[in-house]
Amino acid sequence: MQDFLLISPDLAWPFALALAWIVGEFAHRLIRVPRISSYGIVGFFLASGQSGFLPSVDSGAIMLLANIAFGLILFELGCRINLRWLRTNPWLGVTSLVEASATFAAVFLVARWFDMPLIPSLLLSSLAMATSPAGVLRVVNEQRSSGQVTERILHLSAFNCVLAVFTFKAVVGLWVFQSTGDILHALWNSLIVLLVSAMIGGIFGVAVPSLLKKLGNRGHDATVAFAIAVIILVVLTHTLQFSPVPAALAFGLMARHRRIALSQAQQNFGALGNMLTVLLFVFMAATLEWPMVMAGAGLALVLMVVRFAVKTACIVAFARLSGITSRKGLLTGMALTPLSAFVILLLEQTRHLGIGLMDQMAALAAITLMLEIIGPIATQWALVLAKEVPDTTGT
Amino acid sequence: MPLEPFKISNPLTLGVELELQLVNLSNFDLTDASSDMLHLLRRANFPGNVTPEVTESMIEINTDIHTNHAELLDQLQNIRDTLVRAGDALNVGVCGGGTHPFQHWSERKIFAKPRFKEVSALYGYLIKQFTVFGQHIHVGCASGDDALFLLHSLNRYVPHFIALSASSPYFQGVDTQFNSARLNSVFAFPLSGRAPFLLRWADFESVYFAKMEGTGIVKSMKDFYWDIRPKPEFGTIELRVCDTPLTMERAAALAGYLQTLCRHLLTRTEPPPTEDDYLVYNYNRFQACRFGLDGTLVHPKSHETLSLREDILTTLRHIEPHAEALGSLAALEHLYTVIHEGSDASYLRKQYVERGGTEGMVDSAIRKFRAHR
Repeated sequence: MQDFLLISPDLAWPFALALAWIVGEFAHRLIRVPRISSYGIVGFFLASGQSGFLPSVDSGAIMLLANIAFGLILFELGCRINLRWLRTNPWLGVTSLVEASATFAAVFLVARWFDMPLIPSLLLSSLAMATSPAGVLRVVNEQRSSGQVTERILHLSAFNCVLAVFTFKAVVGLWVFQSTGDILHALWNSLIVLLVSAMIGGIFGVAVPSLLKKLGNRGHDATVAFAIAVIILVVLTHTLQFSPVPAALAFGLMARHRRIALSQAQQNFGALGNMLTVLLFVFMAATLEWPMVMAGAGLALVLMVVRFAVKTACIVAFARLSGITSRKGLLTGMALTPLSAFVILLLEQTRHLGIGLMDQMAALAAITLMLEIIGPIATQWALVLAKEVPDTTGT
Repeated sequence: MPLEPFKISNPLTLGVELELQLVNLSNFDLTDASSDMLHLLRRANFPGNVTPEVTESMIEINTDIHTNHAELLDQLQNIRDTLVRAGDALNVGVCGGGTHPFQHWSERKIFAKPRFKEVSALYGYLIKQFTVFGQHIHVGCASGDDALFLLHSLNRYVPHFIALSASSPYFQGVDTQFNSARLNSVFAFPLSGRAPFLLRWADFESVYFAKMEGTGIVKSMKDFYWDIRPKPEFGTIELRVCDTPLTMERAAALAGYLQTLCRHLLTRTEPPPTEDDYLVYNYNRFQACRFGLDGTLVHPKSHETLSLREDILTTLRHIEPHAEALGSLAALEHLYTVIHEGSDASYLRKQYVERGGTEGMVDSAIRKFRAHR
């Protein structure tokens, strides 16, 4: 077996996906664990750093596929975001700004208290702002939940992701400026990349629905068209070294708000999306290494508690003002626990800049692993407790 | 428990109940938002009353008792504005329409309330399929006998209300070719249809209801899903055939029409109702559901075939003096425009073509509900 795999390491990935899928299905049916939690566990154990079943994840093709998977999820999230809601309920925007910035501040203080250097502390804090949109959206779709907690976690996670990418890029810009003294290079690598990426996504958001309308693709399933567009968008931004994250999100947002054609795409992009999700979550966890996880475990636990407490407290504080009960506010905070998918991809993107962040931040590896597994479970429980999940035992 | 005595109320007073759709603004499917909406609405000063309905994606509102069309319209508009504000705060679309054009009944959640859980256990999928949205209009009656007289005299006009309110052309994603597909869902229930032909309240109470209760099938009037049913505890009759229109203006106009028609019927100048009137009842009802204003009627007395549209126009003209007396001319005016411009069902079909699909249709319904000020 060992020899066989050595001859053909390319075989390892398909087998890893199969295994992750099987474990995910069984765990979901037997103990109702969200599937993505299982994918993470399988990915972590199969990783080159652990059992060594999977080849090193530096391989470009898998990375690109993971980015595509993430792009599809972000596009779907973008389609579910109603920016008009910020205007009709300003307290939602306030909640989002407060919870994201308070998370940033709290995590920064803790990191500094643990003697982490300035730039890594800032980067860690900006990453901690974001709730994994992939984790949240997958659980929402898997549970078929609907209600205020569901709506709010989707919106809050999209907003805090944008805020996190923005802050992250600003910090990277700061770092580039500090180490090179080149302000243009700094700006280019941070905010301009972000804006241009979002613009490219926006152009797709206008072009694709227009094309569908020209085709007279009325009321028909537009899944394939949107999927191909997302793949092109991700590959394009990836190759040009822009950021696929804001691009895919902007694509979804624009496609929704222009509403040129109200064509429906299948949830999760159907079978294709489901398959890529398995890959994404296996990939995420496979980038982590046990020694680093152990080294960062202490700080990670503290950070996890602080992040949870701050996010929840902020949302509860504005719950009534924004039109929900404090209980639902609490559950919304709880559901925002997942963190992960996002972090790894952002870090991978900064690799070409020569910031070896993952190596400096063992805590990040630990928190990522924990939250990739625990996060979706927290989201699922929050949705169940909020009674937003259909009762499958009854009628 | 025997039927309670018929409470006397002021004749021709009006009250309206409307079942409304709660829609997800991202995919325009129904969304389970009634608990959240109710929580928010109970915090505000709601102009009227708001209650949960059987599935989590519907909400029911009702007005106070009114004596004329203008007051009723005013309250309905206030209710609408409050609902729209609450929907805005929660990112939920609120709209009328007798059916949601593409929702799947298997996705619906039953609202957590014992009666709903009970009927759901009894009727099974029928209840989830019953995620349809109707307007109920109550008219006050001076006595139980008056109530039964009005109930049976109205049999010939039931198709008018079906055609004028029709707003459910699509169901489960397909064009049903009906203008009111909603009533087909109501028909699936064993105790639907029409009330038995009895004209004295004493007979209804001590003979019919007591016998039915003895069979164990029914416990209260609530178990009957008739097109028109007496409501003794309110002292009213309740017309239940209307689809929820797309606008509050139309809901008020339909109520105004019913009030005016009842005033006319109570003059007892029309030939009295008979059991044989019901020979053509189901056929006429079908015509109105299927073809809307383009349907035909068989007159229950003369058996001549009439165009439904013409019959409504004739009736509207005929009862105009009563509208003047009640102050409901504006309601009849509104209905003339329906006759000329088409019903909500034809508006929705037009939206399907113009907006490119059922999602666009729901979007238009949401806009129409909020924009008509």
